[in-house]
Amino acid sequence: MGQMVDQFNEEHPNIQVTMTSQGEYYTQLSTAAASNTLPDVAIVHVDQVATQAFRNIIQPIDDLVGQIGVSAGDFPEPVWAGGEVNGKRYSIPLDIHPLTMFYNADLFQTAGISNPPTNRQEFEQAAQQLTSGDNNGFMITAGFPVAQIFATLLHQNGGSWFNEDGTKAAWNSPEGVEALQWMQQAQQNYSQPNLEVDAELNAFKGGTVGMVWNGIWQTTNLTGEGVDFAGQTAAVPQIFDQPAVWAGSHQFTRPVQQNADPCRDAAVAIFIRYMLDNSVTWARAGQVPASNAVRQSIVSGGAGGAGASASAAAGGAGASASAAAGDDASGGLLPSAALAQSVETAVFPPSVPGITDAFAPLDEAISAVMSGSATDIQAALNDAASRADQILAENQQNFGTAPQQ
Amino acid sequence: MATGVQQQSVAARGARRRRKVNWTPYLFILPHLILFIVFLGYPFFSGLYISLFQYDILRPAASRFVGLGNYANLFTPGTPQYQTFWNGLINTIEFVVYSVPPLVVIPLLLALLLNTRMRGVNLFRAIYFAPWALSGAVVALLWWWIFQSQGGLINYYLADLGMRPPRWLNTLPWAWVTIVVATVWWTLGFNMVIILAALQDIPDYLYEASAIDGATGIQAFFRITLPMLRPVMIFIITTSIIASFNLFIQPFIMTNGGPAQAGGGGGTESVMMRIYNEGFVRNLQGSAAAMSFVVASIMIAISYINFRVFGKRD
Repeated sequence: MGQMVDQFNEEHPNIQVTMTSQGEYYTQLSTAAASNTLPDVAIVHVDQVATQAFRNIIQPIDDLVGQIGVSAGDFPEPVWAGGEVNGKRYSIPLDIHPLTMFYNADLFQTAGISNPPTNRQEFEQAAQQLTSGDNNGFMITAGFPVAQIFATLLHQNGGSWFNEDGTKAAWNSPEGVEALQWMQQAQQNYSQPNLEVDAELNAFKGGTVGMVWNGIWQTTNLTGEGVDFAGQTAAVPQIFDQPAVWAGSHQFTRPVQQNADPCRDAAVAIFIRYMLDNSVTWARAGQVPASNAVRQSIVSGGAGGAGASASAAAGGAGASASAAAGDDASGGLLPSAALAQSVETAVFPPSVPGITDAFAPLDEAISAVMSGSATDIQAALNDAASRADQILAENQQNFGTAPQQ
Repeated sequence: MATGVQQQSVAARGARRRRKVNWTPYLFILPHLILFIVFLGYPFFSGLYISLFQYDILRPAASRFVGLGNYANLFTPGTPQYQTFWNGLINTIEFVVYSVPPLVVIPLLLALLLNTRMRGVNLFRAIYFAPWALSGAVVALLWWWIFQSQGGLINYYLADLGMRPPRWLNTLPWAWVTIVVATVWWTLGFNMVIILAALQDIPDYLYEASAIDGATGIQAFFRITLPMLRPVMIFIITTSIIASFNLFIQPFIMTNGGPAQAGGGGGTESVMMRIYNEGFVRNLQGSAAAMSFVVASIMIAISYINFRVFGKRD
């Protein structure tokens, strides 16, 4: 991102952008809003857009969309929909960062597995084959990112987090129970019990783990020069009936300003447009560009990339090849074709303020099941759903139906 | 008063000057008073005020007076706040129970050791005190690395010894062990230095007299050292309890409050983490203020009991 901003500044002498990144980001945005020091542009995660809109941190940018020159057709539908709150547009998607499968191609080769698995049968077979002695075929923790894994499986199984309008939790469905049962089984069969957050990444880097599922932002950590074996990326296999994958998305927003300034608005539009057009650089840092055009150029571009995408469509054979092909001269790691395409089935939470609060009980329930402190899956999901319903009701009453000053 | 009247009749001019308030001492405490009002007094009353509202600092128009509603939520089973708040509070009290004894006993023993005239005593004092200068985030990260399960220092060596070490950070009670160890390592230096200073204030003649009377070292410790240290020990116990009550950064970084509990909340989630979450993640700042006041009342009560129990034995 810094590299992109520097390049932008170089090419636009009359618009200068200073980038800052912050820990505890949304707390920092709140305090900046309270002291009227919000920046001209801010990136917000898709699941935070509604919350930040209702809290008067970001403003509608329907007027800017034309200036930026983008429209719904330029992005996958769900990620574009995530930027809309109460019929108004608040954000423009930059990237989609899906749950991703990382695999140790050296272990695959030793075990005689030629392709990363793409469905349940292949996955379970590969994981079983790779689990022996000190090696784990698949490793899953009892903390982050089990909620993201659950979300992927829930939606693959035809379930959903919430009801249509985001007022009630719906994850305690038979589909949800089945998804969590599968996770528990996978943990028992291939992984180790009670692993803390990041334990699977550290073990994978140690070279004893066949596959892990984590965010695509781990690409530089788990592949290429980050490991001393052939670490590769692939789309998370489709375990149940439908393709679906959990993903996050960084979106550009226009924070509320004290004084309206059309000149600054125009500069912001130019900046956002530039960032979207040049999001290939961002992709090298392990993010999939949200813009269809840029994503297509990655999938089909690069040396031998076209062939790779064709073979990926033919059954995933090309996934590892294209990852290698995508590793272009500038040293970054572009996502494989299959992975880049998987974001078209990405699922995002409904655009409801405070929606992330409602995930807290679910995260706890999943972690409790995966760490063995809860044994009845249906009861754990039911309990989480009823607590989430209360939180959703409290939020509704707290935030009201539309943003207000 | 009687003398004042007498003097007034003797010299009216002097009396007039005497009746004037002497501002000098107030001027001396003024800087602290201003800081106190700005950073403690005002926030205290403003916090008390917003605890009666459904309040979000960025949405003043949406503020709604709810009276004692925020407090009622904390005492009504079934509200979103009830389970997680009490889980956090009980966890915090558990941590106080685990951490305060080692935070008092270990510094006391170290101070006794370092109160001798051995070689390099200043070096050891510096070594034990040094961690206190680190920030909490650094300490927490350091111990996270030592305790983590995949190649962490402790498990690496325990595995070498042929043991099957626990998952320190993600199972109970081991997660508490990691947090207590990190906390004790981090803060024992402060308590040690205070006890050391108090030890050096105990006059030598008491020990000489006891030696002449034939007291052993252990008798001298229990009959002279400990009683002489009592005021300082009360101070140490009280400040350690308060510091432990404010547990935040260690679980925030090392366990993120985990392991998750079936009924909601995490096994090592402290009440301060819960208040932070309520106020800055959920942005229910009125409710977070109410939680703070409940916790503060409990802390004041404990401190009071502590002073009553330990302070009144003369």
